Amino acid sequence: MILLGRRVQVEQRMAVPKSAVVIVPVVSVVFALVVGGVFLALTGHPPIRTYLDLLDNGYTSFYGITDTLGLATPLICTGLAAAFAFRMNLYSIGQEGQMYLGMIGGTWVGIVLADSLPPLIAVPSVLVFGAIAGAAWIAVPAFLRARLGTSEIVSTLLLNYVALNLVNYFIFGSTGFFRDPTTSFPQGRAVAESARLSPMAFFTDKVTNAYPTLFVAILLAVFLFWFMRVSNYGYETAVYADSPNTARYAGMNSAWLQSSVLLVSGALAGVGGAMYVVGPAGKVDPGLLQVGLGYAGIVVAALARYNFLAVVLAAVLFAGLRTGGNALQVSNDPVPIAIAVVLQGAVLLFALGGELFRRNKVTLVRVQRATT
Amino acid sequence: MKRRKVIAAAFAAAAMIVAAACGGDDAAEEVTEETEAATEETTAPAEDYSMVKAAVVYITTPGDLGWSYMHDLGIAYMEEQLGIEVTRLELIPEGAEATAVYDKLARDGYNLILGTSFGYMDPMLEVAAKYPDVCFQHASGYKTADNMGNYFGAMEEARYLSGIAAGAASASGKLGYVAAFPIPEVLRGINAFTLGARSVNPKATVQVAWTSTWYDPAKEKEAAESLLATGADVLGMHQDSSATGEAAKAAGAKWVGYNSDVRAADFPDTWLTGPVWNWGPHYVKLGKDVAAGICDNSPYYGTMADGMITLGTFGSSVSQETQDLIAEKAAAIIDGSLLPFTGPIKDNEGKEQIAAGASAALGDLLGQSYLVEGVIGSAKG
Repeated sequence: MILLGRRVQVEQRMAVPKSAVVIVPVVSVVFALVVGGVFLALTGHPPIRTYLDLLDNGYTSFYGITDTLGLATPLICTGLAAAFAFRMNLYSIGQEGQMYLGMIGGTWVGIVLADSLPPLIAVPSVLVFGAIAGAAWIAVPAFLRARLGTSEIVSTLLLNYVALNLVNYFIFGSTGFFRDPTTSFPQGRAVAESARLSPMAFFTDKVTNAYPTLFVAILLAVFLFWFMRVSNYGYETAVYADSPNTARYAGMNSAWLQSSVLLVSGALAGVGGAMYVVGPAGKVDPGLLQVGLGYAGIVVAALARYNFLAVVLAAVLFAGLRTGGNALQVSNDPVPIAIAVVLQGAVLLFALGGELFRRNKVTLVRVQRATT
Repeated sequence: MKRRKVIAAAFAAAAMIVAAACGGDDAAEEVTEETEAATEETTAPAEDYSMVKAAVVYITTPGDLGWSYMHDLGIAYMEEQLGIEVTRLELIPEGAEATAVYDKLARDGYNLILGTSFGYMDPMLEVAAKYPDVCFQHASGYKTADNMGNYFGAMEEARYLSGIAAGAASASGKLGYVAAFPIPEVLRGINAFTLGARSVNPKATVQVAWTSTWYDPAKEKEAAESLLATGADVLGMHQDSSATGEAAKAAGAKWVGYNSDVRAADFPDTWLTGPVWNWGPHYVKLGKDVAAGICDNSPYYGTMADGMITLGTFGSSVSQETQDLIAEKAAAIIDGSLLPFTGPIKDNEGKEQIAAGASAALGDLLGQSYLVEGVIGSAKG
């Protein structure tokens, strides 16, 4: 007997159609909203109104979008850091730790040097030292990877825990340099005023929670996008990412490419931590440990398909889900944070899952099966 | 064909969402009007506190059955007493996100905003400066402003009493203590616990294990197990979960809880007692203040005498003799005749910290940065 059936066939696309680049993300988000909506309805929250609240609090209201941009600023940097390494098939997941080190390095300069410097020099110094500290934190994994071929995944991950404990030690465990000497409460020592930026304000009285560092983060994204397209270095890393053997045959220095990419990635994450210092924190702040912007950077990079400009958008999307989700708890029909987190998860999961449909052609095909 | 239909449907859905978004403001306004009407109807008979719009921000969730849980009980008590509804925000990380949340609450017209984690202090201070008409109240910190007060309590009093129970229960004289961070609040607690234990068991020692976290059941359990492995037969703790109790139960050791005694019944044989918070009355006071147009910005330090601090229920293994002794000491603490931190008190490096006959002033207690004699461990973590 012959049975007729259907099965799903997944076939890799030879070329990704232009339309898929736009349609797939849009459809993914719509699907996520539908799934989240069902979940909301099941838990007794009107989906449409909840989404409108989320949209309003995360993106479309003046304070919603500025809060989101404030949170997105360091996230753009960690997203760029992840994208920069992942493009080269170097899976550093150490952005979290490098960001802490950026915070520590930036704070050090902010305390030691900034008093004698005008803000125009002090603020960039903090950012640069943050970058140096972030790069230093990945130096050992970069060396091990380039020289010995040791997996950067494990080494960078382990250093995250070391960095976390370092911050805890500086603030809770020691009475050292980074701890506020004016109180016995565990607080970071504040950097000089000249090393701080004020939050952006509009129309004199509308003070936001976003900082001018936002523009630095966007400029970094634009610069990387441009530089990696036009420069020889960008070309070499692209060749290496496609085929390390080809790159070697062409005389490219793989150790240099691998280590330099990782160091730049670390520096980018470090800048993110330093932005926290010149912006909202002004000190080594263990509060940053709870936010997880380093790990979130990996999600952002994946959402952006490692495209530097898209990283900016993905970071804003992600940050808006966070600020909007937090704010959902403040309403006449408060949505518990757990449900907000489920919504965030659904959006991110579907957005990432959409990749399957962009890269592959998925069709239903008829199959004939012979049975006896 | 099919795929096109799916895509078309998706676009239609997206368009609907955009269209709905444009009309969003009206919907939100309608809702607020509705609830305003509702609160007017349910006016409390005695006095009307409906003008108090209060919100509280938690670092964990009340599901921790610890720190946030006890605050939440206090908030529920406040709601009942004042006839209002309080907005609760859970799992808000310290730092930039907290700033955004406090900003949002003040913008949305809340006039009493409570924060219950130390790291909320600077974000609250920053936002308080922007909204002088909003009253901010922060638990466990030290900075205040014209419109920002703080509140906390003398947990060391109840910890001292729980130490008596622990000292009396220990056969080996080796006690353990799972502790979060080496900060004055925690150090004070370990010291009070140790002083209490040594008041009935002079040779008792308290080994400290630091976890570097307030809430992480796995880590807390690990730390507790490491203490049990060194021979400790009674554990105390300063954490937000009851993981220490689980470890103690598994090893057949006794333990002293913290924050709440809600789980005492889960540990029928191993629970001794636990120092417990009672935030409700203070929250009621803060709400009444705001209704009267006051924002009390003086630091409030609750005690056993005013009821903010209590000792939880006793486990079945605590002897009547010990219970009587603790009751006697509790009465002495409440009437002020017993101050746990009365000299001579030496630190565990041999240095005299409080001279014989003297007792620590509140300021010194709040900044306590040493561990007393009998504690095995470092005040630096």
